[in-house]
Amino acid sequence: MAAAPQGNPKGPAQNDPVPHPTRRSQRALDWFVFFVADVQTGFGPFVAVYLTAEKWTQVDIGLVLTVGSLVALVGQMPGGVLVDAAGSKRLAAGLATTVIAISALAYAASPVFAVVLAAAVLHAAASCVVGPAMAAISLGLVGHAAIGERLGRNARFAAIGNGLAAAAMGACGYLLSARAVFFVTAMLLAPALLALRLISSREIDPERAHGGPPELRAGVPPNRLAGLKRTRPLLIFAGCVMLFHLANAAMLPLMGSVLTTRSSQWPTVLIAACIVGPQLFVAILSPWVGRKSRAWGCRPLLLIAFAALPIRGLFFAAVANPYLLVAVQLLDGVAAAVLAVTVPLIIADLTHGTGHFNLAQGVVGTGIGIGASLSPTYAGYLSDYFGSSVAFLGLTAVAVLGWIAVWTKMPETRPRRESAIVGRE
Amino acid sequence: MRDRYRTSVAVTLIALSAATYSTAQEKSSVPPAIEQPLDNSVKSPGGLTKEPTVAIFDHREVQGILGKEVRSAANENMGRIVDVIVDRTGRVRAAIIDFGGFLGVGSRKIAVAWDALRFPSNEDKTERVVLELTRDQVRAASEYKQDKTVVVLGATGSLEALPFP
Repeated sequence: MAAAPQGNPKGPAQNDPVPHPTRRSQRALDWFVFFVADVQTGFGPFVAVYLTAEKWTQVDIGLVLTVGSLVALVGQMPGGVLVDAAGSKRLAAGLATTVIAISALAYAASPVFAVVLAAAVLHAAASCVVGPAMAAISLGLVGHAAIGERLGRNARFAAIGNGLAAAAMGACGYLLSARAVFFVTAMLLAPALLALRLISSREIDPERAHGGPPELRAGVPPNRLAGLKRTRPLLIFAGCVMLFHLANAAMLPLMGSVLTTRSSQWPTVLIAACIVGPQLFVAILSPWVGRKSRAWGCRPLLLIAFAALPIRGLFFAAVANPYLLVAVQLLDGVAAAVLAVTVPLIIADLTHGTGHFNLAQGVVGTGIGIGASLSPTYAGYLSDYFGSSVAFLGLTAVAVLGWIAVWTKMPETRPRRESAIVGRE
Repeated sequence: MRDRYRTSVAVTLIALSAATYSTAQEKSSVPPAIEQPLDNSVKSPGGLTKEPTVAIFDHREVQGILGKEVRSAANENMGRIVDVIVDRTGRVRAAIIDFGGFLGVGSRKIAVAWDALRFPSNEDKTERVVLELTRDQVRAASEYKQDKTVVVLGATGSLEALPFP
């Protein structure tokens, strides 16, 4: 392993020149992340609400959503490969965002089965590109040494975008129509692309952006062996986040339907608080997480996040008071802040010098997708036969397994010393 | 699955026309639907095949029901109609409403008795479908699941179990 030097723990190697991204590019990236989060929020569960209002049957809606999530799952690794291969990460991100906006427009313009199915597939495929591309632009812009802080900043702006968009689109759907939400979503393309343009493409090092070694240009071939050795921690990590999402994805929807049955006053407002509240938490916490991820390493943070999840599950199983349920839901913000920063950061650590940063993001993304798509089935089965408390306990059990997996299997990836990356193997 | 969906749509239309009919009879001011045999039906060869009749409705007198918003008597939002349940004789027994939630999170499907729904009369131009239940009555009802015993919430707030499907 050639890249990280022994000497200066904070600074990069002598042959890895510290990039100095301009303030303008950093700001522009903030806004790009913000607007992409806005655009993405318009999809998600809101699609079902919209298609229901457009006289779609539940069978057709279910089919479209299933096809979309399958494409999103299968597309993760090809999307990563594409971003790795793309000469301009900025162009890849721009095209993917445009495709997402076009599919939003297609939803709004003609809710016919064929059009919506095509739009769902396009949206899922483009999402597989835009996620890695954003991380790649960040890495290419600030370099590996400063990526922790940058990812914290990304997570903050994504959370603000998600929270504001959920609130605004909820209001928009209520006051105007479900269809208007998709027009607003499509219109957000313009500011997103403007922000993307303002990121100076000269400052995004394409080599750095896919975790490539800077020494390659100096004539040193990339270290293949190091890449192979780090495949195992990567797969372990993918397994850990899969368990996390298997336990996590169904928790909010299940808790929302429990809330709908228990609260006579303001159930809608309470559920809105459950969606927006954790985003607020992420926005506040994530820059701190970004800094601590380098000072403490990712492992302690991961253990905190993976511990927050079973605690949340236990409370949901035991507590009946709707206001207390909303308070417990805020714990989700802690876990979300940690994962938003550490997932790309650990991948960047593990792929530093291999040139496969985005492919590895695809691998972990596939793990997340498998966990998240099995979660509702698992929780739904438990809740149908044994009630919601048992379903929460079942999710909690998976979350505990995830914590144990992180504790026993997951190595620290922070590249303070050589041994930190490769040594545990 | 597909077939069931088709049936439910067809049933929706029939149910609607029936519903409008009954309102029409109550408020005798509404012109009844005109039924007439098709012109060519009389000259059908052999006269063995039954020719279809057509019923003509003013588009303001009938409406599709899927995706229709339902409100309570106190004008609270009660969700949207997502399906219609019929028994083996084809009689409409219940409407499935998607109730509660925010941005699609936390909503539940509840079966409510068909006769708990009030459809807009001729004088009332609001086009609103009113459910004669309160939010409190509906939120406690058990969720509708396909291929399970359907528990239908009636207008009196009582629960009625249907043996079908």
